[in-house]
Amino acid sequence: MQAPTMDPAEEPPSMLWGLDPIFSAFARLYVRDILQMTESTQVPGIYFYNSHPIYKVDVLGTVVYQREREDFFCYGVDDGTGVINCLCWKNDVFKEEENPSKSGGNPSDGAQGGFNPVTELKKLRQAQQIRCRLEIGDLLRVRGPVKTSRQQREIMASTFYKVNDPLMAVQIAWMMEVPQLYRQCYDRPFQLQPKATGESAVSSLGKATNIIKDFFKQKSVSRFRPYDVQDLLQPLILRLPQTASADQEPVAGPSACQQLRQLLKEALKILQDEGIVYRKVKSQDELYHVTAQDKDLVIAVKDIIKEDCKREKYAEKGCHILHILSAVRQRYSLNVSRAALELVLKSLESSSDVVSTSDSHYTVF
Amino acid sequence: MLPAAAVFHFPWEINSGAVQEGESVRVLGRLVCYQPEESRATLSAQHASKEHQVVIHTLFVEPFNPIIGAQYIVLGEIESAEGVGAMVRARVLNCVDGVNVALLQKAINEQRSFFRERENKPCDAEQLAHAT
Repeated sequence: MQAPTMDPAEEPPSMLWGLDPIFSAFARLYVRDILQMTESTQVPGIYFYNSHPIYKVDVLGTVVYQREREDFFCYGVDDGTGVINCLCWKNDVFKEEENPSKSGGNPSDGAQGGFNPVTELKKLRQAQQIRCRLEIGDLLRVRGPVKTSRQQREIMASTFYKVNDPLMAVQIAWMMEVPQLYRQCYDRPFQLQPKATGESAVSSLGKATNIIKDFFKQKSVSRFRPYDVQDLLQPLILRLPQTASADQEPVAGPSACQQLRQLLKEALKILQDEGIVYRKVKSQDELYHVTAQDKDLVIAVKDIIKEDCKREKYAEKGCHILHILSAVRQRYSLNVSRAALELVLKSLESSSDVVSTSDSHYTVF
Repeated sequence: MLPAAAVFHFPWEINSGAVQEGESVRVLGRLVCYQPEESRATLSAQHASKEHQVVIHTLFVEPFNPIIGAQYIVLGEIESAEGVGAMVRARVLNCVDGVNVALLQKAINEQRSFFRERENKPCDAEQLAHAT
């Protein structure tokens, strides 16, 4: 059993604590580790497990000690590795139950037979109360910050409840899961990852799509062919042979050219998937339409909604997006994607030409 | 004020001398016999084609509903008693009939192997960190 002893100087600076995802999570540590964590010298109430800053934990265990005070319960919880005290404050539910003068209410309510919120609420409170009162031998799940009072570690429960586990299924699942959490998170040292080096390939594609999008916006392009935008991506291709002279070996040339074409192809694929461009007609001639600039498509969509909303079937709720999509495909172009249609609908909605009645129904007034 | 942590043990480990007197344990077994006049129960489990029995002193958990043949889990301290060797003085005795015994054993072994792994680690933590 290693006591995690740590030099105060080794303590990570408090400014970086929040960058560790474990800091803001309820750590599912073994009770033994909770009892042995070192407390921070900078901020009391923060503890370190393997240099992970921790202040709140999540524990499942058997109650082996129980005291009830006026305002709180005190449960000793045993998870098989250690025993820790849990301070569980009684909430208002208990206080109301204890002075029945308040709940002396209206007896007539219960007799109506239907759904009665007052009695339902009472039942809910009773259920909650039952789950809060535990006896020795019951299973308790508790989460909350770790405190040290009178040199003793304890958990200040922010949530606690009795777990019904007659077949030990919850306990077994917990026992199987926690070692995995340790291996994957708690026992791994926390390191701030410098930006991954593999990113450049991804980002050049991102840059390429952004360049093309900017180009559409600046020039209000409504349709284009790939060679129109190919040159825009030229600067993204690294090590481009600088004006290769004609008699040079043709080996270096094609590779840069191929890279460029590949990049363009992938960028156009992304733009198509996002619905920013689409091909009205799939033919040899690679002609792309820019969705936002395609006035005909916008009019077609508007007309479809206007016409179909007159039909009784759609009058009340408006047309579903899939209905509009199939109509657009029938009347306008087979190749309009859902993403493209969504873009059109969004722009129509922002200009108040159409109104959405739910997240996928549209109508006109 | 708080009792010691009750560590999971298999019934066949209780009488084999692996557990010291006074240690806190939790053990799962099938209730085969209960003698209320003596506050004594017997849990039993099979392991490696042998029947292993653990004697439980039940004074602290009485009264309870003894279901012969059901699985029970007991938390308590090891005591030595004449005639039976190691005996568990129960603090908690819960009926958990229907529990997936094989899965529980797997979970206990999983937890043990995790602790074993971790305790061996600090000496060559660096190497292991690189290896994994």
